[in-house]
Amino acid sequence: MKPAGLFVLLVTLLSPHLHAQLVDDMEDESRLYAQTKQVNQFFRRFNGEEDEKGERYYPRDRLYQSVKLRKKYLGILFDAENTGINNDLKNEFARAVLDKAEPSLLNFHGGNWFSEVHTTFAMNGKHQPVVLFMELEKDHQGTKWVISKVFAGMFEPYFIRDTTKVGKFLHPLSHELDFMNLRKAFINPDSVSQFTVKRFQPDHLSVFLYELKKGNLKFKTIQEVKFHFFQIDGWYFELSEFNRPGYNTGWLISNLVKVNNDKEKDLLKKYLYYEVSGR
Amino acid sequence: MVNNKCLFTLLFSLFALGNVLAQSAEISPERKQAIDSLALEKVRDLSKYISIIGNKNTPFSEANRVMDRAEELFAPESEMGVSSLSSKEVNYYIVRKYFERLIALNYDRVSIQWYDIHYISDLERQPDGRYVGVVTIYQRFEGESDDGMKYKDTTKKDITIYVERKKTQIAGRIVEFWDVMLGDIRVTETSA
Repeated sequence: MKPAGLFVLLVTLLSPHLHAQLVDDMEDESRLYAQTKQVNQFFRRFNGEEDEKGERYYPRDRLYQSVKLRKKYLGILFDAENTGINNDLKNEFARAVLDKAEPSLLNFHGGNWFSEVHTTFAMNGKHQPVVLFMELEKDHQGTKWVISKVFAGMFEPYFIRDTTKVGKFLHPLSHELDFMNLRKAFINPDSVSQFTVKRFQPDHLSVFLYELKKGNLKFKTIQEVKFHFFQIDGWYFELSEFNRPGYNTGWLISNLVKVNNDKEKDLLKKYLYYEVSGR
Repeated sequence: MVNNKCLFTLLFSLFALGNVLAQSAEISPERKQAIDSLALEKVRDLSKYISIIGNKNTPFSEANRVMDRAEELFAPESEMGVSSLSSKEVNYYIVRKYFERLIALNYDRVSIQWYDIHYISDLERQPDGRYVGVVTIYQRFEGESDDGMKYKDTTKKDITIYVERKKTQIAGRIVEFWDVMLGDIRVTETSA
C-alpha cells in the first residue's frame, strides 16, 4: 500500500471520534436549515424545486414546482425586518408569481438579472470604493460571470459639467482656422469636458480598465454583494444576504418594486447603475 | 492491497461506464447524486483534516503530514476568503497558509465541530467544459487558554467543487470517471 493510501486509511480508522464531532445543538441546526444558504437555494426555493432539507426535486417528483410548496417558501424568502415592503405588495407579487395559468419561475440562465459587487481598490495607494456590475455570459462550453459596468465615485469629479450655463466653447467657425483654438481649450484640464457633445456618457469601465492596466489601481477586497432581478414580468426585486440571529437569514428579497412599463424599468436600471443622481 | 483512492476510483469508474449518455453536456439526476456523494466525501475528508490540524494534541510533524493530505484535495491556487461579523472585508489566504494559521492559534485547548448539515448547489458548466458547484457546511470553533480566556464562533464555509470527466487505463482498458477537486472556500462568521 502506498504511504498516502495508508495514511488516509489510518486517519479513518484511528479517528472514530472525529466522525462524532458533530455539533449537538438542534436549535442552532434548525436555524441553519431555515437559512437560505446560497443564491442557488433562493432559486430552488422560489421555484419549489427542493425539500425542507435542501434535497433537490426533479420533474419526476410530485412536489416539483408545486404551487403549495412555492407558496410556503415564498413566505420565508423576504427580509421580514424590512417594513418598506408592505404586505399588500408582497401578496400581489405572490399572486403574480404563483398564477396557475402562467406561473413565473426564475431561470439561472434566463438573463435579466445581475449582481452588484461593492469592492475596495487602492488607487495610487489610497483605498477607494468601486462598484462592479456583473452578469452571466455564455462562452464556449459553458457560462461565466463578466463585468458589464463599473461605478467609481473617484472618477465622478472628472466628468462633472454644467450644461445649463454658457460655459467655454469652440466657436462655430473654428474649422476655418483648422481648430487652432483647441490649444486654449486644453490648457485647463478642469474645463475640458465642456467641449464634449451633450449626449456624452462617461464610461467608468473603460477608465477602470485603463487605470488597472497602467498599474495605478490594485484590488483590495470585497465589501458586499447583492443581486437585482428583472426576470418576473412587471416586477423588480433585490436580493441581499442577511447574516443575523434568528430564522429569517441568508439570501432574502430586500426590495420589491412593481414596474408598470419599459420606461419605468429603464429608469430603475439607470438608478441602480448610478446613471441618474440620487443613489 | 489496493489503496483506498484506487478502489474508489475503480468503483466510480464502473458506475460511470453504466451510462453512455454521461458524455453529453447534461448531467442526469442519478449522475448528479453520485457526484454529490463524491464531493461530500472530499468535504468530509477536509473537515476531518481541519479538526486534526486544529487539535492542540496533534504533534507538529503529524499536523504537517495532514496539511499535505488536505492540500491534495484542492485544485492549484485555491484560496480561502475569510470575513468576520465585525468586518465584512474579505481577507485572502492560500489554503496552506490558512492551515498554518490554524496551528498557530494561541489557545491551549481547541475544539472544532461540524454541524450535521450541508447544502449542495446545482452543477453549472464553465467555458472550459468542467462543471462547478458549491457545497456549504458549518463549523463551530471553541478555543480556551489556561488563563481562562475563551473564544467561540460558528463559520459558514462555502466550498467550490470542480467536477471533471477524466480517463484512465485499467488492465489495458480505457475507463472514464468523474473526478472532484475542491477549489476556493469562502469563510463567513455567522450569527445565525
